[in-house]
Amino acid sequence: MLQFLGGSDRLCSGLSRRSFLSIGSLCFGMGGFTLSDLLRAEDAAGKKNSHKGLINIFLGGGAPHQDMWEIKTEAPSEIRGEFSPISTNVPGIQIGEVFQQLAQRMDKSVVIRSVVGCKDRHESSQCMSGWFPDDLRAIGGRPSIGSAVAKLHGPADPSVPPFVGLANKTQHGPWSYSGDPGFLGAAYSAFKPDGPGMENMKLHSIGLDRLRDRRKLLTSLDTMRRDIDTTGIMAGMDAFEQKALDVLTSSKLLDALDLSKEDPKIVERYGDGKPYKYQYDGAPTCNDHLLIARRLIEAGVRVVSLSFGRWDSHGQNFDLVRDHGGKLDQCLSALIDDLAVRGMLDDVTIVVWGEFGRTPKINNNAGRDHWAQVNSAFLAGGGMRTGQAIGATNRLGEYATERPVQMQEIIATLYHNLGINVATTTITDPTGRPQFLVDHEPIKELI
Amino acid sequence: MAHPPIPESSMIHPFPALKSLPWTSVLLLAALLPLVAHGEDANRLRFDRTHLELYGHDARCQLLLSNGAEQGPQFDLTRSARYECSPPGIVAIDELGLLSPIASGTTTITAFVDGKDPIAVQVQVQLSNVEEPINFPNQIVPIFTKFGCNGGGCHGKIAGQNGFRLSLLGSEAKEDFEHLVRETRGRRLFPANPDSSLLLQKSVGTVPHGGGQRMDIDSHEYRVMRRWIAQAMPYGDENARRVVSIHVTPEARQMVRNSDQQLVVVATYSDGSTEDITRTVQYESNNLDMAEVTAGGLVRVRDYAGEVSIMARYLGQVTVFRASVPLGTLPADALPIARGPIDQAVFAKLAALGIPPSGLCDDATYLRRVTLDIAGRLPTLAEVSELQQSILSATDATPETVQRRRVAIVERLLSSEDYANYFANKWSAILRNNHTSEETKFGAFAFHDWIKQSLFDNKPIDLFVRELLTATGDAESNPAVVWFRQVTNTESRIEDISQLFLGQRLQCARCHHHPYEKWAQQDYYQMAAFFSTVDRREGNLPNEPRFIARIGNASANHPKTGQAIQPAALDAPKSDLANFQDPRGALADWMTAPGNPFFAKSIANRYWKHFLGRGLVEPEDDLRVTNPPSNLELLDALAQDLTQSSFDLKHLIQSICTSTTYQLNAAANELNIRDTNCYSRFYPKRLTAEVLLDAIDDVVGSRSPFDGMPVGTRAVELPDTSFASYFLTVFGRPDSTTACECERSTSSTLAQSLHLLNSKEMQTKLSFDGGRAVQWAKLPNIDAALSPAENIRRSAPQQIQELYLRSLGRSPTDSEQTVALEYLMQRSDRLREAYEDLLWGIVNSKEFLFNH
Repeated sequence: MLQFLGGSDRLCSGLSRRSFLSIGSLCFGMGGFTLSDLLRAEDAAGKKNSHKGLINIFLGGGAPHQDMWEIKTEAPSEIRGEFSPISTNVPGIQIGEVFQQLAQRMDKSVVIRSVVGCKDRHESSQCMSGWFPDDLRAIGGRPSIGSAVAKLHGPADPSVPPFVGLANKTQHGPWSYSGDPGFLGAAYSAFKPDGPGMENMKLHSIGLDRLRDRRKLLTSLDTMRRDIDTTGIMAGMDAFEQKALDVLTSSKLLDALDLSKEDPKIVERYGDGKPYKYQYDGAPTCNDHLLIARRLIEAGVRVVSLSFGRWDSHGQNFDLVRDHGGKLDQCLSALIDDLAVRGMLDDVTIVVWGEFGRTPKINNNAGRDHWAQVNSAFLAGGGMRTGQAIGATNRLGEYATERPVQMQEIIATLYHNLGINVATTTITDPTGRPQFLVDHEPIKELI
Repeated sequence: MAHPPIPESSMIHPFPALKSLPWTSVLLLAALLPLVAHGEDANRLRFDRTHLELYGHDARCQLLLSNGAEQGPQFDLTRSARYECSPPGIVAIDELGLLSPIASGTTTITAFVDGKDPIAVQVQVQLSNVEEPINFPNQIVPIFTKFGCNGGGCHGKIAGQNGFRLSLLGSEAKEDFEHLVRETRGRRLFPANPDSSLLLQKSVGTVPHGGGQRMDIDSHEYRVMRRWIAQAMPYGDENARRVVSIHVTPEARQMVRNSDQQLVVVATYSDGSTEDITRTVQYESNNLDMAEVTAGGLVRVRDYAGEVSIMARYLGQVTVFRASVPLGTLPADALPIARGPIDQAVFAKLAALGIPPSGLCDDATYLRRVTLDIAGRLPTLAEVSELQQSILSATDATPETVQRRRVAIVERLLSSEDYANYFANKWSAILRNNHTSEETKFGAFAFHDWIKQSLFDNKPIDLFVRELLTATGDAESNPAVVWFRQVTNTESRIEDISQLFLGQRLQCARCHHHPYEKWAQQDYYQMAAFFSTVDRREGNLPNEPRFIARIGNASANHPKTGQAIQPAALDAPKSDLANFQDPRGALADWMTAPGNPFFAKSIANRYWKHFLGRGLVEPEDDLRVTNPPSNLELLDALAQDLTQSSFDLKHLIQSICTSTTYQLNAAANELNIRDTNCYSRFYPKRLTAEVLLDAIDDVVGSRSPFDGMPVGTRAVELPDTSFASYFLTVFGRPDSTTACECERSTSSTLAQSLHLLNSKEMQTKLSFDGGRAVQWAKLPNIDAALSPAENIRRSAPQQIQELYLRSLGRSPTDSEQTVALEYLMQRSDRLREAYEDLLWGIVNSKEFLFNH
């Protein structure tokens, strides 16, 4: 049954456009942020700098590396598959034929054909934090990149959360994973537009007038001396109370999530990804999400994670790549254009990847199975030296022969693009140990 | 409402005559007072040592000159003196007072300070004609540490940096030598021409270095490394002297704000020799707002009064300098009655720092404070009324009468079930009690019940810990084993136990020598060995395992050497155990022995923080040598009190809550407003998630539902932290994933404000039909002849009074009464809504949200 997204009038967030409008505004994740974050954000807001952003697109299930960015033309037919390579606008770089439009944007993009360090497990944390869930499990695990950035940089705009997870809930949990806060705790988890905090943005049975009455009453009753508390908690409460009222009367975040406020031509350019041909326990191909991600970054979000499709192609691999790949080609090329037009492409990094690659040999169901030896990734923007294809696999696409790239090197590159130096930055875990974000350094070819 | 007024004697003006002077002049005078008081010493000077020795070209020695007062404050005069050497040419003295050898011989250094008698010290320099061989572990490794080369961010991380690896903070000199010398392949170290060695070129930045320039070519360290390379990189004598201890001078000093103090650190070696290592050690301040320290050991305190510690670290040894920076001096009568060792220790510190405490809080404040702290709830209407009655019927209001009343309140609360509930909530979370499924629920409930019953029965904490860590059986027969179910492996168990009950964070030593402690991997695995015979077996209930202790030799494997390690407690000899003995019993014996250096202190500190809001050591479970308590005497007194009472927790709480310190006002006077760790006043604490939710429910007359729990269950009564509640999550309830109290957060967030301001949950509580607002809106004694507003004027004051008593434990002030009454009267047509608003206003006020 494919009911969980509801009817055709629904957006990928699971809410109808109408319900979006009626809500008034949205709220923050579990914890939101602390006073110092707020002050930092206001300080940053005063400078009006465009902030660095990341859109992390997870291809749950594991996309077939040999059908995406490196077609193994030399391989025998039981391995080669159905796709031919096509030339791109960068001489010498060819990618799979499904990605016609991305091929024309290769100069703004990077493909990595030799990603290593995967495990044959349907996890997604390695694409969110660079670590597997077992790491530091005893203290809550490693924070994902969105949570770490929320901790290190705070929100860019005080009324907009720094980290948003758009992935719809899927039956297989890791495929709708937004990235955990790990040992940082719930305060740094991703804000989810369908999460529990959102309700608090809606004025319920009391109207704005009554809320203002209440506030006036509170001001005259709440007369305790604030300076007796030197921890800043009391002052923080006052500041957030004011901010909460601002949030209730402005709707920056809501507007970002509301595609009816977008130019219809642009909405059309991204496509809607329908009909959803996904399998029962994976994510749908919500092209909308990429557009919403762009709007969120514009509104002040720093990291958006989302899950696109279900790529676990044990059967009918080529049909699936044609369907998912074609849709991805459309919305991803639209996103690159869109960011470029808005002058945001140098500040916003896009990364597109899954948990592992797929078997060279095509199985009896025209499918490919799990293959953790090698994986691939697509990146764009972020001020990187784009127009490159990094690494290569052997003739059969079995393993990396040139420039093996650890998944953590990619995560380190994303941190670098977000302005975080992984060689010097640490976050103190609950046991008091300073923890580095990743063990590897950014990809030198890109920075 | 007839409270006796707060005794005015508690308002303290430490400088009555100077009250009108500008603040800075008060401080200046305060600083000068001690000097005047010790007039006869005023002209004297003193060196820290009577005789100085410099052996070898690498030796250096730091002068430390102070005023010579036998008693009273001492000041560092090292950099204000003029020095003369006689004969000259033996040593050089730099502007900071650092001596370097020039030629062999003996000389006398005389220090001159204007207005004081000169003082002399003899210096002996002995240089050998042959070049002394460099010792790698003793001379080269400390350089890597001093310049951060072997830090966790650089070459000290497990994978090294760019192919060059050092052990973290130089804990493994042998490994460092191997990596540096044996793996070098020539370019890194080049004895034929030492200056072209990559090691030196990178360190001074003449070839590109990711870590940048770390030292100067002209530095002492460069010369030492250069000579080491020129000597063809000797490791040095394996049996050479080793550092056995290091010692800082002075150990403690009272300092004036915005002043400097030079430190001197001397190492003692295994052969009894000593060396001045002031310039070689690493320094760290535990409070950068208060004090900073240079690489040469010069401490500068800033404009804050209080206590600050500077740690010096060298080759795995640490020593700590404590500076106390007084605010002024207190008149003798500035301190209230000291009721026991707690107050004595706190007031001694306040006197030393010149911080006048706030006055005693009134009875109503005390009742609310202590009820929230012991029972985790607001005082009931009945309790508040009873207190008012007892105040009214008292024949006098002497301090002793007040104290007797408060002691009685504490006794009543400690014998209540609410006490057990609240502290079970605290312990359950850090003992990681949780359930993730229906199947694991039984164990979680049973474990919580065991904790709660133990607290209710006042089981001594040593017995509680013994039962916990030696538990065998299953959740049904012995609920304490659920801890083993929740904390699943040997490493986590020993780390949790150490952090919870010893205040020692051993985690670091799992993989490398602890950077801020003496614990090595050996210590870690000796501890881990105590849990090595614990086995998990299938139990009678599904998902409820049985735990047993296998018969056999307890041992753990050292991860580097692979060697089997026998159990031994921290700083204790190996435990001699027969193989049929459960080694955990021996661990419990050691932990709970009255002389254990960690156990009582860690419990006492944790409880002190619970009540006073700030631990004597922060974080409360990190009692390192390098993280000293803000009041050593107080921590000792609390630990002693706990030990002498045979680990009676209720007694400990009684001691804390009936102390004068705990009874001080939260309101600051003009002098103690910046005090954050001397307890000169009560530091307000935001109510924790569960307590806050219950408190709101109590005031508005509602109850929050929890899945699978009987209606009316309070949030603090929940057996573990797995019950879904957005309110509790957003206000910082922990997930019980670690043994760290820090998982519980009391910081403020936007999501909290939105929830209090505008959540459906809050609005439902305020407006539901059985709630207080509905009930109050049905005014009693309505007189039809009067207007609705006039009826409100007659009846509502009674309800406003009730509202204040229930929520804040006190009557409203006149102005509060007026504000509330007018708000209601203006909304006579929608009185129910108006009462909702009033309730909302109160529960959103800081006075309600905080315990103060």
